[in-house]
Amino acid sequence: MNADAPVLRGVGLGKTYGNLAALADADFTVRPGEVRALIGSNGAGKSTLIKILTGAVLPTRGTVEIEGQAAPLGDPLGMIRRGVACIYQHSNLAPAMSVLDNIYLGRQPTRALGIVDTGRQRREALDLLARHDIDIDLDRPVGSLPTVKQKEVEILKALALDARVILMDEPTGWLAAADVARLHATVRALKARGVGIVYISHVLDEIFAVCDTVTIMRDGRIVAESDVAAIDRPTVVRLMVGDKLAGEASGAALQQRHPRGTGVVRMSARDLGKRGVFGGVSFDLHAGEIFCLTGLIGSKRTELVRTLFGSDRFDTGTLEIDGRPADIRSPQSGMAHGIGFVPEDRHREGLMLDMNVTENLAMATLDRHRRGPLLSRGSMARAGRQAIDELSVRPPDGGKLVRLLSGGNQQKVLVGKWLGRNPRILILDEPTVGVDVGAKAEIYAILRRARGEGAAILVVSSDLEEVMTVADRIGVMVSGRLVATHDAGAVTQEQIVREIGGGTA
Amino acid sequence: MKIRFSSAALLLFFAVTLAFFSVSAPRFATASTVENLMSGYAFVAILAMGQAWPILVRGIDLSIGAIVGLVGMIVFDLSLIFSVPGYVILPLALLAGALAGALNGVLIVYLHLQPFIATLATLAAYRGLTYSISGRQLVPGLTTTPIRDPWITGIETYFDLGGSIGLSRLINMPWFPLSFFIMLAVFALLQVLLLATRFGRDTCATGGNAEAARLAGIRVGAVTIAAYAISGICAAIAALIMVARFTTATEALGSGAELTAIAAAVIGGVSLAGGVGSMFGPAIGAFLLGAILIGLTLQGVPQFVQQIITGVILLAAVGYDRLLVLRRQRKLETAATGAGR
Repeated sequence: MNADAPVLRGVGLGKTYGNLAALADADFTVRPGEVRALIGSNGAGKSTLIKILTGAVLPTRGTVEIEGQAAPLGDPLGMIRRGVACIYQHSNLAPAMSVLDNIYLGRQPTRALGIVDTGRQRREALDLLARHDIDIDLDRPVGSLPTVKQKEVEILKALALDARVILMDEPTGWLAAADVARLHATVRALKARGVGIVYISHVLDEIFAVCDTVTIMRDGRIVAESDVAAIDRPTVVRLMVGDKLAGEASGAALQQRHPRGTGVVRMSARDLGKRGVFGGVSFDLHAGEIFCLTGLIGSKRTELVRTLFGSDRFDTGTLEIDGRPADIRSPQSGMAHGIGFVPEDRHREGLMLDMNVTENLAMATLDRHRRGPLLSRGSMARAGRQAIDELSVRPPDGGKLVRLLSGGNQQKVLVGKWLGRNPRILILDEPTVGVDVGAKAEIYAILRRARGEGAAILVVSSDLEEVMTVADRIGVMVSGRLVATHDAGAVTQEQIVREIGGGTA
Repeated sequence: MKIRFSSAALLLFFAVTLAFFSVSAPRFATASTVENLMSGYAFVAILAMGQAWPILVRGIDLSIGAIVGLVGMIVFDLSLIFSVPGYVILPLALLAGALAGALNGVLIVYLHLQPFIATLATLAAYRGLTYSISGRQLVPGLTTTPIRDPWITGIETYFDLGGSIGLSRLINMPWFPLSFFIMLAVFALLQVLLLATRFGRDTCATGGNAEAARLAGIRVGAVTIAAYAISGICAAIAALIMVARFTTATEALGSGAELTAIAAAVIGGVSLAGGVGSMFGPAIGAFLLGAILIGLTLQGVPQFVQQIITGVILLAAVGYDRLLVLRRQRKLETAATGAGR
């Protein structure tokens, strides 16, 4: 196989956003008929690499060659024309349009005057369906199809291109086990026809089942490349999470865990459900513990915690806080019950970017700074200075606009805004996405300090490294169900990975 | 596409409305009402079909009334001040409309302005420009001079189709205005453009999922600008029809036409969420609105009450559109969880 020239080759690729390097100096090749796994934790730079290869993102440095020819960068159409197709993690279909239109989106065959040649389009599509043994109604609007079928439409879209390389970004993230097997059969058929495939997945079983070679990324860099046959799972995991953490995880010297904290149940959920979203979720959250909910994107963790805080409603089940039934209808009543909520998208939902640090910190505690009908600037500034000090926000300047802070410091401000209320329950959704390693450690320290003061903390995280570092207990969600809870000290990362993937092997 | 208020249902509702007023309003079921409807609402239908394009790419065009005014004044000036022959004026008018529309698109694509704000700004700008180039104020005495160019006044022609095929001997047939046939031609052209061409499919893709369209190599910016240009051309056609009828143009020509056109488009099933719609709906929507307003007038309902009713109809249509979008989203979510298990 190595005798073949690479069909796709990236040299020295890099991408920086502001002062955050999402990808640095990545060399990457795919040969015809090769299935190359691309793995790494969240934020390791996989998605950035893929986006550069599809032309969706313009790299800051480096070049891409397709069959030895330099390819234009940041040009989706140019990449498609050269035979690079991508199946994205999130659907990239126009829901109101028919399957047929979606397969040929942007490149329908035309006759004179730009009239679409529907006859030819349909003939080619039917031929494609027959060749790949896929059964689908070409005239249904895509939005009315189940997700599995929508994935097939995306695959058909790539196949219709006669793509020489297909990039698959977590293609099985939404699929049930039987459909995963079906997808793998398709992958092998494509491989036999000489198509090069890049396969991104968190599920190691899939890598060992279907891939030939593997590229492992960490912190924006490629840390290893290998034949799948020549590598074993512990090595893969060690390379993914890094020696230091792997070492810590194997030793008992990891920082102290407090499963069930003080033993006092703060929040108790029984059989919570929201029709069509999640169901049968039961758990207890104790004072003085950090409970991490993990799972794939789309496993409805965010929807669940939004419901707990009151920004959404649940349909079934009961919720008790401090042993009393709690009826949380709105964020206001959530706050009245002592809940703080740090949302996933800090820019859209969490912070006022064009207000300064002090104002943002005071946002959730304005009542305390009231003097009659007016707000006391002095009182806000004093509280702000203290919080900036405790959180070690840098630069320590309360007048600085939040927009101008780094991602990590923005996140500290957001967490601090809620800690200012001394919440009895603090819910955080992906608290360290897009945050650099140093700030991550500081945010973990802030959470541990709040835990020490008796808060019950619920963290939603996709980052297993983070979960293993910070959790006292771990809950795994799959497709809107809480499938398992573990004491963090008594479970391995591998077992969590297996449960997240819904696999039994 | 079965997920929309279907064309058949819209036609049925149109028929029910006609039947209702035929029974309840005096002199509604007459040839002259049909004639009024055709001559008074053909240009509304054209505006609505044009408006559908910006809405299809998830935008809106508030400036079409102002474009009508601007193009009307350009025609006025060219004909009466510069004595340009009508066969030159017609293409120039269409070109002016296309440019005015394209400028909306350029502002939205290149300055990343919200369509609502961009076209609100050009609404004011185009209307102001209309006043500043107004031949009525620049050249004294023109105010009362009618436009006599046969190329322009010829648009206001009626055909006695009933008489020519002998049907008038049996029933009282309306005369068909040329503007009605212009409307049919615009309809045929735009419907083919939307449903049968690459450009039409690209337009739906851009409105349905702009990121997917971009990644499929569709030039989303160009498609958007073209959509606003089509809206501008339709406004120019409407302006020509109105100038032909009045044989003059005023600075206020077309004021408020954008609301009627948006109402007709939304009633006609063009989704404000983008990517869904046809040309048939807005055309029928315009005539439906016309039938209701003419019927109310014949029933003696005052003008201001009619305006309230127009507002209520627009709210109902937009509300129904929201409902459909929400239902579609819920269906998608259910499908997603159902598949996950």
